[in-house]
Amino acid sequence: MNVTPELFLNFLIAGIMIGALYALMAMGITFIYSIMKMINWAMGEFYMIGSYAQWFLVSFFFGSAFWFLGVLATAVILFLVGLVVQWLLIRPMFSTGMERKDEYGTVVTIALALFLRNLATVLSGPNTRSPDIDLGRIMIGGLPVSGNRFAAFLGALIIIGLFYYLLNYTWLGRAFRAGSQNRVGIQTVGINVLRIDQIAFAIGVTLAGLAGALLAPVFNVFPENGAVTTMKGFEIIIIGGMGSLPGAALGGLLLGIVESLGSVFIDTGLRNVYGFIFLIIVLLIKPTGLFGEKERLS
Amino acid sequence: MQNKTFSRSLNFVLIGAASVGILAGPLFLNDYWQHIMIVSMYYIILAASWNLLAGYTGQFSLAHQTFAALGGYASGLMIYHLKVSIGVGFIAAVLVTAGTGFLLGLLVLKMRGIYLAVATWAFSESMRLSIAALYKFTRGEQGLAVPSLFDSLAPIRYYYLFFALMVGLLLLMYLVLRSPIGSFIRAIRDDELAAKAMGVDTVKWKLFIMTFASTIAGIAGFFYAHYIVILSPVILSFNEIGKVVIMVVFGGLGNFAGPLIGAPAIVIISELTRDFGSWNMVFYSLIVIVIMRLYREGLAEFFRNWIQKLFGKKPAQNNPLQE
Repeated sequence: MNVTPELFLNFLIAGIMIGALYALMAMGITFIYSIMKMINWAMGEFYMIGSYAQWFLVSFFFGSAFWFLGVLATAVILFLVGLVVQWLLIRPMFSTGMERKDEYGTVVTIALALFLRNLATVLSGPNTRSPDIDLGRIMIGGLPVSGNRFAAFLGALIIIGLFYYLLNYTWLGRAFRAGSQNRVGIQTVGINVLRIDQIAFAIGVTLAGLAGALLAPVFNVFPENGAVTTMKGFEIIIIGGMGSLPGAALGGLLLGIVESLGSVFIDTGLRNVYGFIFLIIVLLIKPTGLFGEKERLS
Repeated sequence: MQNKTFSRSLNFVLIGAASVGILAGPLFLNDYWQHIMIVSMYYIILAASWNLLAGYTGQFSLAHQTFAALGGYASGLMIYHLKVSIGVGFIAAVLVTAGTGFLLGLLVLKMRGIYLAVATWAFSESMRLSIAALYKFTRGEQGLAVPSLFDSLAPIRYYYLFFALMVGLLLLMYLVLRSPIGSFIRAIRDDELAAKAMGVDTVKWKLFIMTFASTIAGIAGFFYAHYIVILSPVILSFNEIGKVVIMVVFGGLGNFAGPLIGAPAIVIISELTRDFGSWNMVFYSLIVIVIMRLYREGLAEFFRNWIQKLFGKKPAQNNPLQE
């Protein structure tokens, strides 16, 4: 293939745009990790629920012109689902003085992932759906870009901005940051740490669900659509450093770029594999990830 | 002490009865149920070797099904492209899975707990997507035809083959757990830093156990591939490792008897409820969630307590093979 600067730029932009969505996913995973020190393996399934919710709401309620209302409603739905799931499954980890929390958290969320994924298959069939949203094409610096992708990119930027504001300029955000540093400490200043966990979990899965809702018209809606995005989310948090939000944001952009350029310069079919190769390279250079700090052994 | 002896003799009786039952199985099982038993035995090997990683060493790997598939694909691709014999295919399967297991072990060596699970999962998904994407070489979703081991596809020979394989590999794993290595890896699981301070070569044993368990999965995968005679990327999917995790948790994580009970239970229930399609997995995952919430010791422990109550003994406190 003849590689011109325009082509390169085009794929760079495409990479950055999809990278912002990956970053959203990764921030959700890493945010939950930073507060509760657990990985939510069902993250991709919340992405899936988000995409189904968006498809359902746009198809039957808001219509394609008001797709952004669908995104807002999806956020509310996912937040409520997150609150309930956390209360049922994750809260006992901390409220019952459980031993080997890691093991419980991993097994229970893997089971939850299988449950939600197969439930979706049973309820909706394996068919691929897509919300009827077409925002045409827009030109950025003379290069055509799919409107749906651009809208998803803008949405992701806005959500990341709001999330940043929440974390850094509100009382709740301060409580989250304190909780991620010292769970006992925030209890001594009178913060209900179990409530903080619950809200953090709900926010984390809402971020995944929003990624799903925004990407629904781009990547389609089917029961296993969360798997690939989750894999990328996990790769990103290893690349960026576990528990680091800036790491998740930068890692997401880098992964998007690596994938996009890899698929144009090497092979499109292997698009989803470049992330892992990139991960190995990063780990060889910096074993803790880009922003990761060396973990202190107890 | 008495409890320990009782528990051990109980184990021998149970194992003896189960072996006789399985050996005599084909007398009263038709081909279909023999097939179900073969699948159960395959999953027992897979689940027991995963238990070695997750239950005993604390290496919560989510790439175990990948090694089973790699064993099958290594042999299948050698035979498909180079027209070698099945024996050469077996050697290829062992070498490839041991080598990959060692390399993955190196990659995740410094990672602890959850970090490791995430990395192995990314590895596993990448392998699945690669095999699907490189369809010119692997035949991808179309499926790779693999020759069968015997000239007839009747399951009876495979039945005894898998039984011998299962007994051999379980014995091997049992011996490893009984040896000092068993203590080393449990020490690593409980507190890696303390184990290191006590002089356990943590790097060496973590790499060893990863390579060892991966190779066992690869060998099981090799035989299974040559039994089902077709391979596709589906066997690398998350559902597969999910099933293995469910089997082990169902039976009891970190309990040697756990996978032996959990794997056949899940396979048989899944066959009996086959008509319900995807509801199958919905039910299992619900069962696992309930077990995890309410009875975390698993079925093996439940039965042990139950049988011992039946004989009026207190449950054993210090069984060497469970913690």
